[in-house]
Amino acid sequence: MTETRPATADARGFLAPDGKGLFGWIFSTDHKRIGLLYMYAILTFFLVGVALGVTIRLELLAPGETIISAQAYNALFTLHGVIMIFLFIIPGIPAIFGNLFLPIHIGANDVAFPRLNLLSWWLYMTGALLALGSLFGSAGFPDTGWTFYVPFSTQTTTNVPLAVFAVFILGFSSILTGINFVTTVHRLRAEGMGWGRLPLFVWALYSTAWVQILATPMLAITLVLVILERLLGAGLFDPAKGGDPIMFQHLFWIYSHPAVYIMILPGMGIVTEIIPVFARKPVFGYWAIAFSSIGIAAAGSLVWGHHMFVSGMSDMAILVFSLLTFIVAIPSAVKVFNWVATLYKGSISLDPPMLFALSFIFLFSIGGLTGLILGAAATDVHVHDTSFVVGHFHYTMFGGTGFAFFGGMHYWFPKIYGRMYNKKIAAAAWGIMFAGFNMLYFSMMILGLRGMPRRYYDYLPEYTGLNVVATVGSWILAAGLLLMFINLFRGARSGGPCGANPWGGRTLEWSLASPPPAENFETPPVVTHGPYDFEEGPARP
Amino acid sequence: MNFFLQSDTRRLLVQGRKLLLVAAFTLLATAGANSGENTGPGPVHQAGHGETAEPAKEHVHVHPQPAAATEVGLDEKLGAAIPLDLTFRDETGRTVTLRDLVTVPTIIAPVYYKCPNVCSFLQGGLAQALPEVKLEPGKAFRVLSVSFDETETPELAHRSQAIYLDAMRQRFPAAAWSFLTGDPENIRSLLDAAGYRFQRQGEDFLHPVAIFVVASDGKIVRYLHGTSVLPMDLTLALVEASEGRIGPTIRRVAQFCFSYDAENRRYVFNLFRVSATVILLTAGAFLSFLILRGRKNPDRPR
Repeated sequence: MTETRPATADARGFLAPDGKGLFGWIFSTDHKRIGLLYMYAILTFFLVGVALGVTIRLELLAPGETIISAQAYNALFTLHGVIMIFLFIIPGIPAIFGNLFLPIHIGANDVAFPRLNLLSWWLYMTGALLALGSLFGSAGFPDTGWTFYVPFSTQTTTNVPLAVFAVFILGFSSILTGINFVTTVHRLRAEGMGWGRLPLFVWALYSTAWVQILATPMLAITLVLVILERLLGAGLFDPAKGGDPIMFQHLFWIYSHPAVYIMILPGMGIVTEIIPVFARKPVFGYWAIAFSSIGIAAAGSLVWGHHMFVSGMSDMAILVFSLLTFIVAIPSAVKVFNWVATLYKGSISLDPPMLFALSFIFLFSIGGLTGLILGAAATDVHVHDTSFVVGHFHYTMFGGTGFAFFGGMHYWFPKIYGRMYNKKIAAAAWGIMFAGFNMLYFSMMILGLRGMPRRYYDYLPEYTGLNVVATVGSWILAAGLLLMFINLFRGARSGGPCGANPWGGRTLEWSLASPPPAENFETPPVVTHGPYDFEEGPARP
Repeated sequence: MNFFLQSDTRRLLVQGRKLLLVAAFTLLATAGANSGENTGPGPVHQAGHGETAEPAKEHVHVHPQPAAATEVGLDEKLGAAIPLDLTFRDETGRTVTLRDLVTVPTIIAPVYYKCPNVCSFLQGGLAQALPEVKLEPGKAFRVLSVSFDETETPELAHRSQAIYLDAMRQRFPAAAWSFLTGDPENIRSLLDAAGYRFQRQGEDFLHPVAIFVVASDGKIVRYLHGTSVLPMDLTLALVEASEGRIGPTIRRVAQFCFSYDAENRRYVFNLFRVSATVILLTAGAFLSFLILRGRKNPDRPR
């Protein structure tokens, strides 16, 4: 089988047409093709989410009705949340870069269950289209926010059941990917690929996969309960029938808090791959980083109550959840310190992936430290439900995971397409995004501290100034994103050839041609060195 | 009463634990359907969370009777106008018409002064928020508490006013917050116009907990639900009233707040335990399988 397929960069590796056209992609069980399918779908939804976000900001440019009605605004921020959370940032890195590179990283030719992998993609697409489909029902898109809090979500006349069902299906896609990755890492490692030689990106994906397996079923259960509540009047969340609306919040956050670690851990994994390569130094504290991933996954599963400090929980519960929240800061800080220690005395080159990785550290640190303000009950009650929370969340999720995602795109792009993008434009796009990002979300945090509530359509005139700053920031950010995507698109179409290893990386994907051949490794590889042993590796091109 | 309902549900949940999770869902759904027939006290109104924890003591606010429950509620009539020619007596005993009082945007709080808890919380919440509203009381807005108990007198209203003015420590002028009492016809026509459905239960009342804001022409621009209001929400509502804009209802969730008791929590934790156990056991079995099977022979062709 390998003989019949061309395996050189010139022949375009796994990208080479196999004569089946579109079906050769949408029914392919090749992990790399599935990864790219995910990438195109996820980036499309991401751009839709960006457009919605920019519209929300535009509405908030001035107090009162600016461009859309209040109901449309409610639907818009719900849709923005649902798309960005469930269609972009949760599946994003594992489904795209995990699929593309996890098997190669461990020296395997595919994931453990290739057909299950394809099924995950189909489930993802089904869920995504159903979610968008709920836009067009006569009832209108849900106006509940992406959290679907009861009792509102069981009472609003909008199309909640369909949207909830869509998220339910997306959850299954996530669980299947998690099972697939865990099995792959346990069963398919190449000879010589011990646990201590796994790239740290794989450790991050492995930890994430466990969270997906353990936490996502809770989301599925919760969403089924919401549907039962709406359609059958089960009364689980209705105090008039002996139910409890707070139970929904518990169930929801039992999934959705670990979910933020599903979002951030793979991003940290990418950053951990980029930094040693561009500092030309073995990563500092391999095991500390590997176990901090497991630590974040474990501790992060026990902190959901910090979303509910003002829900009327007991003081004891608040104390415990607050303490556990602070404990998550430890493995997170371990990672940050290890990255910085890796940079120390390194031979640093500021290529675009590195710019994204460095800004990740900066933005994630702001996101993480503002998280402590929210994790301490005494300060949280003052900023709860203000735009401070929105600012914090975007610093961790967009400044963190988003920038890591773009870093990964710039890092692996030459490997995927065998071509290089324009590095200067990439750096310029990064700079524009970084500036716009801070303008947008830092203003939101200040607004929140001054009392501007989140999700409000209208505000008092005294908040106008900073809202204008934030909205202008959103335009700059969107312009940077557009420039970045155009540059990458042009690179994929007509960039110059880049060779097998443009960055001098030591993980296994750089030992293959670019793009990798369809079968990955013609003969099962034998791994003889760790992922970050630069001393004996090739010099940086 | 709620207690029986909960034990029903709990029994079903115990059975559910023995079966698979799927079966548990079916049972829960059945429990929900049954409970609808049995009793189901209707919309429950906000009560002090700590106050009503004793299960033995029947409290009209928290557990209204089913028949009455359907009668009580709030139909928002945003944009409708309240009749301004109604007459009431203010806390000094003087007869006033609404037209005399509603000359500026006005917050109207339907309460009764002898109310044992929620109305006091509602007015206490107002007393907390009003001094923070950044508009001039009396000039830019006014507050009216209106008793829907026709047996209450201006003396009682006066005493009530004194309490809340004291609570605000002179940071709010007495003239800007009137406490009205009136006869049944006037009370009915005011509250009907506002879509506010209440019912007498002996000494007490079943009633929704909400205030509303009217513009100076009597048009209803916003409802604010629950016992605590934010100064910002009040300000926004008043600004809208002065501009004649009609705003959407926010923080409606508060209306469905409920008296919290330990029984509910047990039932929450049962559901937690069932699902968590199943998930953890499955994942544990999966991990043991992976560890025991170890690595696949790499030489074996795929």
